[in-house]
Amino acid sequence: MKIATHFILIDDSSFDLFIYEKLLLKSGMALSVQKYFSAKEAFNWIKNNAENMPESVILLDLQMPDMNGFEFVDEYSGLPAETKEKIDIFMLSSTIDNRDIERVKSNPYILDLLSKPLDIEMLHTNLLRLKK
Amino acid sequence: MNEHKIKLLYIDDEEHNLHSFKATFRKQYEIYTTVSVIEAEQLLDTHVIHVVLADQRMPVMTGVQFFEKIRDKFPDVIRILITGHTDISAAIDAINKGEVFRFIDKPWDYKYVQNAITHGYEIYRTKEELRQRNIELEKANEELDKFVYSASHDLRAPLMSILGIVNLALIDDDLSSQNEYLELIRQSVKKLDTFVINIIDYYKNARGVPVISEIHFDELVTDVLATIQYLPEREKVVINTHIEQDKVFYSDAMKLRIIFNNLINNAIKFQDDKKADKKVNLTVTCTAQQVQIKIEDNGIGISEDDRINIFKMFYRAGAIKSGSGIGLYIVQEAVNKLGGEIDTTSVIGKGSIFNVLIPSINNAQP
Repeated sequence: MKIATHFILIDDSSFDLFIYEKLLLKSGMALSVQKYFSAKEAFNWIKNNAENMPESVILLDLQMPDMNGFEFVDEYSGLPAETKEKIDIFMLSSTIDNRDIERVKSNPYILDLLSKPLDIEMLHTNLLRLKK
Repeated sequence: MNEHKIKLLYIDDEEHNLHSFKATFRKQYEIYTTVSVIEAEQLLDTHVIHVVLADQRMPVMTGVQFFEKIRDKFPDVIRILITGHTDISAAIDAINKGEVFRFIDKPWDYKYVQNAITHGYEIYRTKEELRQRNIELEKANEELDKFVYSASHDLRAPLMSILGIVNLALIDDDLSSQNEYLELIRQSVKKLDTFVINIIDYYKNARGVPVISEIHFDELVTDVLATIQYLPEREKVVINTHIEQDKVFYSDAMKLRIIFNNLINNAIKFQDDKKADKKVNLTVTCTAQQVQIKIEDNGIGISEDDRINIFKMFYRAGAIKSGSGIGLYIVQEAVNKLGGEIDTTSVIGKGSIFNVLIPSINNAQP
């Protein structure tokens, strides 16, 4: 089975957005990729398009100015259940800080912490497990 | 002067002892006296007391009992017991229960009492200083923790970006995109290098011994401008410098360089791409007492929310152009170390002004 879904990338690094968009499109896993420099903008888009948006996977950076990854998830948790059902969130970060890792593990809305650079095979395996 | 006097509290049920003690020592110390242990406790509550002297034989409670009572509540106060006669069990109690610092025999010897108070006060001060150091250390540790956390992110993030680009380049068969990947790698390496340089600046600034020398602002500014001539945005920006200095000025050139470098860099970096006449005005007005540095740009400006926070460590205003968030923090630290002030005014879309005022160092020494 091969995964094919919609992706939303949230990262303050333009390099990383560029890299992961290319990787996802090349891998054939992505039906579409949306990129956001700012978590706030991404959140507003989701909030305003909740009804029409397709099932999507969010790859969320942790350390960003203004609204960081955890703050994004805090806001996200307040969205209606129907919206959240359509979305799976993975955190994608270069962090090696244990406190961050613990925080991700204990957060009910984040499925897993993937380390940068993104390992596309690993993401695929993770998504397959979800679909089962 | 009063502030530096040792503050004593003396409790004795015999009032004439209190009077004669006060008469002897009033010029040296700030002395509070009372015949009542209750009032003594109130005095400890309401005043800073360094050393407490108590008579052992008192009607309501003994000196040792009093010390035992106040020991936990006022652990820092130095306790000295005054006894009329040597009683071994009282002495043992005094040490074990009252944890007294010294015994003084009645009738007291002036020199001996003075000596006991002086040494007691030294212990008090040492404890106080130790506590102060501990607070400072805790603060330093906290800062270090934050520093390591953010630094590790800023050091690793560009590396992981590079690794990501390399991985992508390896699976891309289209050779024409290789140059694009190399360009991205170059930018990432640049970013990492800037961060490393900033960290080194930070440590030089925070830990380095200040070197005070004569400052020639025209030379300093020329130097700084030379180091930034290769910035990609530099060639699109017109820099006007206006430097007035006819007096000798003393300061730490390294710290001034950090200030100029970061502020000019920011003024160039945060330009408005929509504007055709991108400019930075640098004005330095130097007298024998102080220098006023004004760096004005017509760039994108800073929002009020950001303006309050930009000097905080690792605060990054705006997602796109901001660096690691350490530059202005280092500027603030440098300005503080030089005894100066910095303030910012800005209008979104119009530009920003950074004003720095720094006193000449020779001025501080009379």
